[in-house]
Amino acid sequence: MRKIALSPADYRLAFVVLGVVALVPLAVRSEYWLGVVITGLYFAMLAQNWNLLAGITGLFSMAPAAFAMVGAYTTGLLYHHAGLGPWIGVPAAALVSAAVGFGLGRITLRLRGAYLALTTLAFSEILRLVIANSIEWTRDLGLSVVGIFGGAKVPILYLFLGVLTAYQVLLMLLLRSRVGLFLLAIRDDEVGAVARGVDIVRYKTLAFTISSAGCGIAGALFVHFLQLASPELGLILQTGLVISMVVIGGMGTVTGPLVGALLMEVAAEALREVGVRHLLVFSAMVILVGRFFREGLMGAVARLRRGARLVAQPTSSDAERLA
Amino acid sequence: MLILEILFTGLLMGSFYALMALGLTLIFGILKIVNFAHGEFFMIGAYAYTLLVLRAGMPQVPAIVTAMVLGAVVALLMERLLMRPLYTGVIGAGALRDEYAIIVTFGLSLFLINLSHQVLGPYPIKGPDLVGVSRVELLGFFVSPHRLLASGLAALTLGLIVWLIRTTVWGKRVQAVAQNRFGAAIAGIDHARVSALVLALSGGIVALSGALLSPLFHAYPDVGAFPAVKSFVVVVLGGLGSIPGSIVGGLLLGVLENFGAIYVSYEYRDTFGFVILMLVLLLRPQGLFGERAREV
Repeated sequence: MRKIALSPADYRLAFVVLGVVALVPLAVRSEYWLGVVITGLYFAMLAQNWNLLAGITGLFSMAPAAFAMVGAYTTGLLYHHAGLGPWIGVPAAALVSAAVGFGLGRITLRLRGAYLALTTLAFSEILRLVIANSIEWTRDLGLSVVGIFGGAKVPILYLFLGVLTAYQVLLMLLLRSRVGLFLLAIRDDEVGAVARGVDIVRYKTLAFTISSAGCGIAGALFVHFLQLASPELGLILQTGLVISMVVIGGMGTVTGPLVGALLMEVAAEALREVGVRHLLVFSAMVILVGRFFREGLMGAVARLRRGARLVAQPTSSDAERLA
Repeated sequence: MLILEILFTGLLMGSFYALMALGLTLIFGILKIVNFAHGEFFMIGAYAYTLLVLRAGMPQVPAIVTAMVLGAVVALLMERLLMRPLYTGVIGAGALRDEYAIIVTFGLSLFLINLSHQVLGPYPIKGPDLVGVSRVELLGFFVSPHRLLASGLAALTLGLIVWLIRTTVWGKRVQAVAQNRFGAAIAGIDHARVSALVLALSGGIVALSGALLSPLFHAYPDVGAFPAVKSFVVVVLGGLGSIPGSIVGGLLLGVLENFGAIYVSYEYRDTFGFVILMLVLLLRPQGLFGERAREV
């Protein structure tokens, strides 16, 4: 069976999506909706970084929002206490969140599945409580941070898009190299990967470090757009949103997280106007996608194009499924 | 005397941690998955009890029973709609199975939280006490009689469930399916039905904890987050799937937290559990009573 995930069509589609976003400022003049698209790009960065960890390497982390918060507070504290702007703050955020991600990746190496999810969940909650409680450093209502481009929406949108595109190119190069194959091997069969000589310690830590750095950069950029760093960025609900976007878009594909994040951020605004909580709709979709369409939106599109049945059929044997 | 008081109130809280963790560990034992929607059954119980007593004027005891039944019914629905695929072959095995379970239960958790937000609003409602008296003196210090009674009920339920699983035929079936689903199926045990019953039991006792603790923690959409993470901590501490582990772990966490809150820092009391969780996972991943997992 041919799969959409990481096929040439998948990579091409991802760049088409980015191209479409580049045209948005030509058609949309509303400051409000430009802000929505910028937020969508922020979530697309988080989604793509989480996808590298969960969708590609098979490490189901619950901490993408926590790493965004690490990045946000790195640049926020540098600005607030040392007067340093985003040009130093954002690279510093990348370094700090990469270091924290390296550490967390290192200590959770042996954990998989639910254990890894629980540990990363615990990590992000501790971090959020510590940040929210250290008010001498982090202030009561969050840190106010300097804006970029005088707060003009269009340049900010292109900055975010540029960073996301650069990341997308690097991700493609990574996935098409030997390292990409190692990551997929770890996801599909860890024991087999070890047996074939894949240094899983090294590549799991690598995936964790890259993903955390990416989330940190996204978080740092986003607070310079919001001009406020607050512990709200690290809420489990934010992680829930990122996971929803990737699951609905299609885990393990490169286009799915982008499409999921952008579409759902816009949909969230539309739902807000109707007075329905967006997470109510998204979580219902997550359950349905998880239950019936394992490859999300991207998988469903590919299946429809092939004329295959939309819902997967039982594949494993009796002995396997009852084990 | 202070130490005795901290120990005692810690045990009161610990009996609830044990009860909630038991609900989580039962599901892990039988399905080998962690239920990330665990806290939402607590929320369902808290809301059901609070609203039935305050809005519908139902007496406390039938309201508690109804809350339990509601929790069990939602758990049965969850089993039928979302957990069945885990053993009907649609999902596959190993890591894929874990991933599926996390996605659907986490999705369910978000769904239930947001559903109650949408329907009932964000405002906390304080649950009614079981007894009118506000405090009684015991062993030289004061405790709330509601907490005393509620913890007694929690301990009673714990004992009842341990008895059920250890001695009855039904409990032996549960043990059989937990040990080897395939083997149990060959021996003629209806494993799907056993799983459904265990999930209903788990939903029921977690909803019971929610109802009994609603005077303390109130009823609001996100109320389940705190009991869920505490239960995660307890089951990991005691060993996933181990019944004695979750009871000892629950009491231990209740006491440790209470001492930590008084002697270390009150603001950071909720972080102790997380620190314990991370330490256990790193140093002794199988927990106090768990068995080391083997891979073929």
